[in-house]
Amino acid sequence: MATKTGFNFDNYQRNLFLEHGKENNMKLPKATKTGTTIVGLMFKDGIVLGADTRATEGPIVADKNCEKIHYIAPNMYCCGAGTAADTEMTTALISSNIELHRLNTGREARVVTAMTMLKQLLFKYQGHIGAALILGGVDCTGPHLYTIYPHGSTDKLPYVTMGSGSLAAMAVFESKYKKDLERQEAIDLVAEAIQAGIFNDMGSGSNVDVCVLTKGKVDYLRNYIKPNVRKEKEQVYKFNLGVTPVIKESIRNLVDVVEVNEMEIDQ
Amino acid sequence: MNTAPLKPGEVSLGTTIMAVQFNGGVVVGADSRTTTGSYIANRVTDKLTQVHDHIFCCRSGSAADTQAIADIVHYNLQLLAAQEGEEPTVQKAANLFQQLVYQNKDALSAGIIVGGYDKYNGGSVYSVPLGGSLHKQPFCIGGSGSTYIYGFCDAEYKENMTKEECVDFVKRSVALAMSRDGSSGGVIRLAIIDKNGVERIFVPGNQLPQFFEG
Amino acid sequence: MISEPIPTAQPARQMANRFDPYEDNGGTTMALAGEDFCIVAADTRQSDGYHINCRYAPKAHQLSDKTVIGTSGFYADGICLVKRIKQRMEWYYHQHDKVMSTPALAQLLSVMLYQKRFFPYYCFTILGGLDEEGKGCVFDYDSVGNVERVKYQAEGSGKELLQPFLDSQIGLKNRATDDVLDLTEEKAIKIVKDAFSSVTERDIHTGDCVEIYIIRKDGIECEKYPLKRD
Repeated sequence: MATKTGFNFDNYQRNLFLEHGKENNMKLPKATKTGTTIVGLMFKDGIVLGADTRATEGPIVADKNCEKIHYIAPNMYCCGAGTAADTEMTTALISSNIELHRLNTGREARVVTAMTMLKQLLFKYQGHIGAALILGGVDCTGPHLYTIYPHGSTDKLPYVTMGSGSLAAMAVFESKYKKDLERQEAIDLVAEAIQAGIFNDMGSGSNVDVCVLTKGKVDYLRNYIKPNVRKEKEQVYKFNLGVTPVIKESIRNLVDVVEVNEMEIDQ
Repeated sequence: MNTAPLKPGEVSLGTTIMAVQFNGGVVVGADSRTTTGSYIANRVTDKLTQVHDHIFCCRSGSAADTQAIADIVHYNLQLLAAQEGEEPTVQKAANLFQQLVYQNKDALSAGIIVGGYDKYNGGSVYSVPLGGSLHKQPFCIGGSGSTYIYGFCDAEYKENMTKEECVDFVKRSVALAMSRDGSSGGVIRLAIIDKNGVERIFVPGNQLPQFFEG
Repeated sequence: MISEPIPTAQPARQMANRFDPYEDNGGTTMALAGEDFCIVAADTRQSDGYHINCRYAPKAHQLSDKTVIGTSGFYADGICLVKRIKQRMEWYYHQHDKVMSTPALAQLLSVMLYQKRFFPYYCFTILGGLDEEGKGCVFDYDSVGNVERVKYQAEGSGKELLQPFLDSQIGLKNRATDDVLDLTEEKAIKIVKDAFSSVTERDIHTGDCVEIYIIRKDGIECEKYPLKRD
């Protein structure tokens, strides 16, 4: 019997059996997948990351203002698309490992280090961790921007998009991107790309989050643009007192109050 | 053959890659297209990955699988160079690739061409196709686009080409494959490896060799 | 470590290319009946998956001075169904020299849907209008012709979100107090607008614009109310 090394996929096989095996009809719980638009852009002196803020569960909007730009290190941030729990946990894990790495080496971590950690983790899980990431940061070797796919492949490019709105956002980048943009131009272009996703991809919506990373400085611009503020409602929906019937009433004393003579305490 | 098919949603290098020996070294070349289904995820990909000072690999198949393999080989070759005190041979590199692809054949979809220079054998080309076999050849083509240019390459290849002739041969071959294969395209990336080191050449998409386009 | 291969069934890869002529284009429709009026409303977004095909593709159609129909589900089937109903109404007009009443249309529609019992129109229909006595009426259908006369109804991709709201605000369900509903036209329109703007917040297939048809005895009015476009 050969000893298998590497990650163990027995439980995956078991789940396949439970789902599809003869006389089995077990439904596995569904994880929240976020239809998303996330983008990244390299400009004159750094990186701009962008994301929408809608989280969906199938056709239902689960969160209208969630955060998709995750902290990795003081000089690195990471946008996540795909399975919400996976993007959250992988970025948190790598963030933790990067901090340990910094403590061990006494140096600020490089972007390529985080990228390698992420790709090796995702490759190990053979795509079962559904995290599609955009990693951006500035280190001692300059600004870097990567995309990381769930199966563990990576690309290094000057402008990138991911998620269900990636095509809409990439259309904006492919027509308007220029080398060495000024800071404000870059932010505007990223915001425009995200809005293309928000309005044309139904998996994306609500607000625009932006994160600007330059040498030694990070500006996290939460809700940089709010293009989808809800109009005031036509009516106020207030229920009259007593619309909810009281079926049973029971009051319990959790504390027994005992009267004690002060004199007795003194003794 | 029992190799892994591409998983749903996986990023693939539907590719044209090739490597050719000439007197004194090798030329490796590739297109630059990476796709997920019908979407081009990267149009300027570098599928020529340096695994040591004078050794390159050309990657085709799953992007994740081939990157992981190349990273492991890169690590092992650095280790080997430090242990043996000299640069590893191309054969050693090719053997590492072959071992990895063969031992994990049921989990990988990776077709790799290894090309490089060493002081014992000069320029040499090895092919490691899907199942994990190893073939030493004077020149080699691979990826989905290669099927369109087997005839052209067999007709045009000559032994003992000069560096310039060889570069021209690779450029024209890859350009022809890119024009016929929907999964190949973008720009042409080349690397010339000889005893002097590595020279990279970039051919933009609007400066590709022109052929009949009836 | 795998000591023995687990009997894995093949992951469901049955007939790969089965004939599948249906599509879900999303969208929400609703109708409510007042004492002497009726409201039929439908959003105008037409979508496929995560993609918006059209931001203004009307799903509500006026059939006569007394009747409006709303369809959601497969847009092409909805269009086709409306076209055929209009055809049948014209034949009826020429044969009987009168316009079909809303209850007569309701019965016809049921028959037309059931005629395609084994290749149904994949659409969820609501018919709203005034009956012979001039009272508001709403008819709700499933895709194969089951029909029910109701006071108010929601259909389409947002119905799970919309129906409970209507139950609360128009049906006055689950209340211990004896609230009485005085459903004026103005109040009904406000409820419809709030209903659609709320559904748009949480249902990705609903949005862009809602068309509100108000059916009175002296004619039909259509009001367009913009919705969020994200």
